[in-house]
Amino acid sequence: MGMISKIINWSRLKSPWVLHFNTGACNACDIEIIAALTPSYDLERFGVVLKATPRHADVLLCSGPVTKQIESRLVRIYEQMPEPKFVVAIGSCACSGGVFNGCYNVAGGINSVIPVSAYIPGCPASPKAIIDGVVKLLRSLETKERKSGGKK
Amino acid sequence: MLKALFQILIFPGVLFLFVFGLCGEFIDRKLCARFQNRIGPPWFQPLADFIKLVSKEEIIPEEADIKVFKLMPVLALTASSVSILYIPTLAERSAFSFNGDVIVVLYLLTLPTFTYFLGGWYSRGVYSMIGAVRSLTQLFAYEVPLFLVILASALLADTWSLSGMVAFYSRHLGYWFCNIIGFGVALICFLGKLEKVPFDIPEAETEIVAGSFTEYNGRLLALIRTSFNIEMIVGASLLAAVFLPFGLNLWPALIFPFYLLQVLFIIVIITFLRLLFARLRLDQMISFCWRFLAPLAFLQVILNLIFKAVLPR
Repeated sequence: MGMISKIINWSRLKSPWVLHFNTGACNACDIEIIAALTPSYDLERFGVVLKATPRHADVLLCSGPVTKQIESRLVRIYEQMPEPKFVVAIGSCACSGGVFNGCYNVAGGINSVIPVSAYIPGCPASPKAIIDGVVKLLRSLETKERKSGGKK
Repeated sequence: MLKALFQILIFPGVLFLFVFGLCGEFIDRKLCARFQNRIGPPWFQPLADFIKLVSKEEIIPEEADIKVFKLMPVLALTASSVSILYIPTLAERSAFSFNGDVIVVLYLLTLPTFTYFLGGWYSRGVYSMIGAVRSLTQLFAYEVPLFLVILASALLADTWSLSGMVAFYSRHLGYWFCNIIGFGVALICFLGKLEKVPFDIPEAETEIVAGSFTEYNGRLLALIRTSFNIEMIVGASLLAAVFLPFGLNLWPALIFPFYLLQVLFIIVIITFLRLLFARLRLDQMISFCWRFLAPLAFLQVILNLIFKAVLPR
């Protein structure tokens, strides 16, 4: 079993497919996410591919504070992703709600609605920071899986 | 019995096709990356994708027809990998060759498209239903010219078996020039069959998410991706056998490496084409196929009839 779970773990680390979802951002973080996926940064080196549907995705990239309107949709999209799945909050607003925290129409950061695995601060977070964050997330998974013997 | 099992499961059957298909996907993605001035994915990328998908959770939509939803990817994989048994790979004669196997191969290669249609339709998602209808509409546009040019090539060789065609064109090396229009037409139709870029209307990512496969995930998506890869290899082998001078009357040991080279050559051409063009609209694609490809295919049939009367056998 040890060998198989090691191979599965390796494959998960080598092919994180991402889904980009705007939960109410001002578009700055979205532009940076798109920039990180362009040829000049070449994320396909690490196996990252942008997917259009949550059913194909492993990592959900969220940007922006969660507005009350989009809250239920975010949960729905999260639940449509097959396990194992990870959420990355990109930008200050996604991490904590940012300047919009406490607004009448804002529920807060991403972690007030769904569990978040990695936080990437910045206003907006630059492509290099996003890549760094994703690599750190993958690396933390590697060590975690080594400790827990390959269980999620 | 044991030999047949070996041929079906290992070579030139499922295992060989699986590995070769992964190589084909890697070459396609790497070339694409190099053309965009990127480094591109590492060599194990398709394998990592496959293992990851297999090990993921499986979600089946509530409204989907579970049986059809689960059966269709398996059927696609089966149909596309069975057809290699009739295409010559190791020698000029294929594993189970008989007179008329061209037709069997063509039908087996049509089957995956139908399974994508049924799988998409019965997953009951809006995007997958649109994708399914589009893939079936597209089928009627590219299938006719493809069948016609392969028929034309068979006419000149005067046989309905792929092994016979390969033997004929290896004996008369100059004759494959007669089929050059047909080769072009078949390459373009093949892009439609594989749903690659100028004709990737059924899974247009920017319009309808992922077409028929929007609702698929985990194991079933892995099967679909594998069947696409295998379809690419089998289709390229078919084109190589029909349109390229196959063995060149080479030493028997050289036939197999030469076959690999031909298939890779066709994959590289397809990657070039898919990088060169942008996606067409469905109506543009259909009118292109019927206005240009079908007449060219008819021209090839007529030319081959004339060649057949004029050229020495």
